[in-house]
Amino acid sequence: MTRSRISALLVVSMAALLVAGLAAAGPGRSPAASGKNTTVSGTITFDGIWTSSTGQPQFQDVINAFEKLYPKVHVNYKPVGNNLPTVLATAVAGGHPPDMADIAQPGTIQQFVNQGKLKPITYAKGVLAKNFSPGWRALGTFNGKLYAVVFKAANKSVVWYNVPVFKTAGVKPPKTFAQLLSIAKTIQASGTPAYSIGGSEGWTLTDMFENIYLRTYGPVKYGLLSRHKIKWTDTSVTTALKTMAKILGDTSNVAGGTSGALQYSFNQSVINAFSTPPQAAMVFEADFVGSVITQNTKAKAISGFNTFTWPTINPKYSTGVEIAGDLLVTFRDTPAIEAFVKYLATPQAAAIWAKQGGFGTGNHNMSASVYPDPITRATEAPLLHATSVVFDMSDNQPPAFGSTAGQGEWGLFQKFLENPKNIATIQKQLESAAKSAYK
Amino acid sequence: MAAAATAAEIPAAHDTVSAKILRGVAKAPLNIILITVGLLWLVPTLGLFITSILPQSALASHGWWQIFSHPSLATFSNYRNLFHNAGLVTALKTTAYIAVSNTLLVVILGAMAGYAFAWLEFPGRDWLFIGVIALLVIPLQMALIPMFRLYDTFGLFDTWYGISLFHVAFGLPFAIFLLRNFFVGLPKDILESARIDGANEIVIFLRLILPLGLPAIASLAIFQFLWTWNDLLVALTFGQNTTPITVWISGQLREFGSSIDIIAPASFISLIVPLLVFFAFQRYFVQGLLAGSVK
Amino acid sequence: MSAGGITAEPPVAAAPPASGGEGKLGRYLMVLVFLGPALFMLTVWMVYPAVYTIVRSFFGPTGFFGHWAGVSNYEQLWKDHNLRTAVKNNILWVAIVPAFVVAVGLIFAVLTERVRWSVAFKTVVFVPMAISAFATGVTWRILYDQSPSTGAINALGRVVSDAVSPPGVLPSALPSTPTLQQQSNGALLLRTPLHPGDVARLGLTAIAPTDLPKSAVQAVDPAAKQGDIVGVVWRDFKPGGGKPGVVEKGELGLPGVTVELRSSGGKVVQSATSQANGTFDFTNVPAGTYQTAVGAKTFAKSFGGYAWLGPTLITASLMIAYIWIWAGFAMVVIAAGLASMPRDVLEAARTDGASELQIFRRVTMPLLAPILSVVFVTMIINVLKVFDIVYALAPESTQQNANVIALAMFNTAFAGGGNFGVGSAIAVFLFLLVIPVLALNVRRFKRDV
Repeated sequence: MTRSRISALLVVSMAALLVAGLAAAGPGRSPAASGKNTTVSGTITFDGIWTSSTGQPQFQDVINAFEKLYPKVHVNYKPVGNNLPTVLATAVAGGHPPDMADIAQPGTIQQFVNQGKLKPITYAKGVLAKNFSPGWRALGTFNGKLYAVVFKAANKSVVWYNVPVFKTAGVKPPKTFAQLLSIAKTIQASGTPAYSIGGSEGWTLTDMFENIYLRTYGPVKYGLLSRHKIKWTDTSVTTALKTMAKILGDTSNVAGGTSGALQYSFNQSVINAFSTPPQAAMVFEADFVGSVITQNTKAKAISGFNTFTWPTINPKYSTGVEIAGDLLVTFRDTPAIEAFVKYLATPQAAAIWAKQGGFGTGNHNMSASVYPDPITRATEAPLLHATSVVFDMSDNQPPAFGSTAGQGEWGLFQKFLENPKNIATIQKQLESAAKSAYK
Repeated sequence: MAAAATAAEIPAAHDTVSAKILRGVAKAPLNIILITVGLLWLVPTLGLFITSILPQSALASHGWWQIFSHPSLATFSNYRNLFHNAGLVTALKTTAYIAVSNTLLVVILGAMAGYAFAWLEFPGRDWLFIGVIALLVIPLQMALIPMFRLYDTFGLFDTWYGISLFHVAFGLPFAIFLLRNFFVGLPKDILESARIDGANEIVIFLRLILPLGLPAIASLAIFQFLWTWNDLLVALTFGQNTTPITVWISGQLREFGSSIDIIAPASFISLIVPLLVFFAFQRYFVQGLLAGSVK
Repeated sequence: MSAGGITAEPPVAAAPPASGGEGKLGRYLMVLVFLGPALFMLTVWMVYPAVYTIVRSFFGPTGFFGHWAGVSNYEQLWKDHNLRTAVKNNILWVAIVPAFVVAVGLIFAVLTERVRWSVAFKTVVFVPMAISAFATGVTWRILYDQSPSTGAINALGRVVSDAVSPPGVLPSALPSTPTLQQQSNGALLLRTPLHPGDVARLGLTAIAPTDLPKSAVQAVDPAAKQGDIVGVVWRDFKPGGGKPGVVEKGELGLPGVTVELRSSGGKVVQSATSQANGTFDFTNVPAGTYQTAVGAKTFAKSFGGYAWLGPTLITASLMIAYIWIWAGFAMVVIAAGLASMPRDVLEAARTDGASELQIFRRVTMPLLAPILSVVFVTMIINVLKVFDIVYALAPESTQQNANVIALAMFNTAFAGGGNFGVGSAIAVFLFLLVIPVLALNVRRFKRDV
């Protein structure tokens, strides 16, 4: 063969290989007609926090729907419950993590990313872009790459209130913080303390702080504080703490007083507000309050309990939404895992759980009408079209600072509850705790 | 007083009614004290039990003693709901495999090692024994990560025997400590005469030491069984599909809010088996095993 | 030591002559057979992790063998305030709990020997051991809860306290206007000076709907009466708030409240009780300046409950729960020891005329010493690494007050700290703590002829 012929042959073969390669690398062959994909196969181990009382059956429904589309893939879900951080930390450090996990703290994810333990999910970029706004996608982005799908979210900028108590006091849900303070006084005069605080669990207090900060200074500054680009000794923090002291310092208006609030679990604080007779009028927490109410008290939706959005402080920042959520991450990269991740980003996956209640999503292609009842719709709908959505700040921090019982943020805010006048000292301690955690 | 104390053991040849009454009266203060202490001791357990038969909504604002004024509130619905969840029977079976296997191994290996430390002579014996006791201090959590890697390499991850072996190792220091100290207290003339008679160590161990050591072995078995029956952390860490009952229960708990309607009945169900083991073995604490020097 | 000629010496592990014909090799083979399997398991599952941990403690926080950290991890032990609290608490635990547990277990084991129904008693004391740590935390939480409605101990306290000093009818009431001032003893004093012919208005708010007397009706603003001081004490609230200090429609009077008339010197001159519409009347008041007040008794609060799980009492409360659990362990093991007491020695002592107490002190205790030592040393070590009860029982807000070394290690290494370097250092520190315990008991362990 002449040299030109050889080179021509080479070029053609390369081209052929290239075309074949491209064809093979294309999106998983799902013949659109039957919807089933039988080329992808494998098992996926999934460690999750959802147990049989809170979400495992619903997530299993999502898995079942996925396995219908990919009959050769099996997802093995392990309900670990609240021990998940320990089990996951051990498994990762021990070299044998599960294929996927659901992690509620972005701070933990950041640690895993820094250690190189997680696999990016850039293959799902297209699906995610189609279904989630940039703000939502940013929540799953670490060090510039996509690592997580925010599958399940809870709106934390929500306040639950006892309807009959409001009626007796003759007040309406407040729109601004000033209104909140004034109706709180009226509610107290009517004979019921206004605020129910579950101070024995520090995250209820940090949630209150974060909502105040978000509504006073907006999502940008919020983000800076989350990443410790603003110090905790900053004047913005002082203002936010002073605002918070207006609630915490109103001790005769807090159910159980300061010492009671410090000992009440979150669960008890919800029960206090909705039992008969009620011991308080309002609880400042997210959507999961609803299930605690229905499980432990006789209060009914709309007539007994209802919600309003966290009051505005600075009118410029009235539409911010703070969420908590479950981010799904991957420790390995296989075709089966990629298929599952992409599936989880679709509105169909979200709808399967959403219609059963106890679930919120930022997937704006899912219609709010999927939510099963008016209260859920009211609390979760803002998520769908939120432009400025921020994650729970304490979950964003390194876990030693942001989510450890009795320490760091949680512990120091409990000290703040003990003495809401002590602002300067608390700020100093927060800053030093943050500094050592960010080292 | 002395008469009353020994009266229980000495078979009463003339057990007249008056003698019986006399014994009962003399024992009265003791009985009263024990009954009072026993009742006080029982209160927390009773509280937990009553909590398990009350619906969760009733417990929201009132204590469990409300049952005395509202007995109609009692219900077994918490228990029934627990049984609805699939996997209970498998979980119980898995727990049984793990608990029984590791208890057996701990008893056997512990008794053998205890005997060696008590009655065999070899250099460095006592220092080695102290070293074994020192291992008691190792907290379970610190062994999780190194063992995780090891288990992964040897394919022991997610197997019931992998979990069981972990418990065997962690149960050995206490087992060896207890049994060695117990064997050391056995009358040495018995062993000496056996050795003089030419019996080898294995026969001495099986025919002499084990029967005499039954009370200590029984108490060891009770606790080792109990501790592994109630373990959560090891099973959670080293299992994926292998789920003993503790893991099964923790897989029911709610993320937020109180799960007392699950924990209370589950702990009572889970309590039954170790309690049965206790009843089965505690008859070995009967006195008189060494009565009349076994020859 | 002797009791009537019978001597009981602490047991010794003599070295009986080896069986004839075996020789050194045979003996060492026996040692291997008896000791080998156990030592193998201990080496792999315990010694290897221990060594791993020691090595790990000299390295950085995350990523196995990240970077050399030298002794900086250990410096945390006295630099970190939480760790210092933990060490302090553990010292308390070691000093108090093991002794209690052994003592209680011993007493129970000995006493139940003599009672026919000992199995029932032993079961009651044993059951706490059989309940999982998690459930024990729940069990004691419902006893220690501060609210007297849900916590058993405080409920009992409330029964007693309310019988002694009963709560007032309006425990949560607050004044509705600044002229009504709260005194240091809890009474509410109307500051405006009053003369005969004036009207006193005492408006109260924050009255819980359940505290409202059933006989209350619409409050009435009374007309002034010559020579009397009249007034009204009412619930100064209507939906929306209303105007404070003014009796409005929809606001209820408070019957049955004792109102005092005080002279300008502060002495109580007259007292009156309010009617259904809240009005009261001090008749025939001599000329002068007066003030009215509602006595402190009206606002006496019901027993609020002790904070068993609060910062000051938490460690004590935990210890009580712990003793409740572990006494069963001590009792069972000691009972096993008692069960194998050589009866002939005890019988001989008895026939020799020794009293029960003498027998107990001079014969039983020495024979029991090895078992007691096992229980005591085991409890000390268990208490050094106590974790479950603190984790399960202490509420988050007081977990740092109740902090113990094992919990600090868990928090540092796992629950968010992610710092396995410091966590390992804490574990090594725990190993080191046990050395003095063993050293003190070494003689007891080495029993050579």
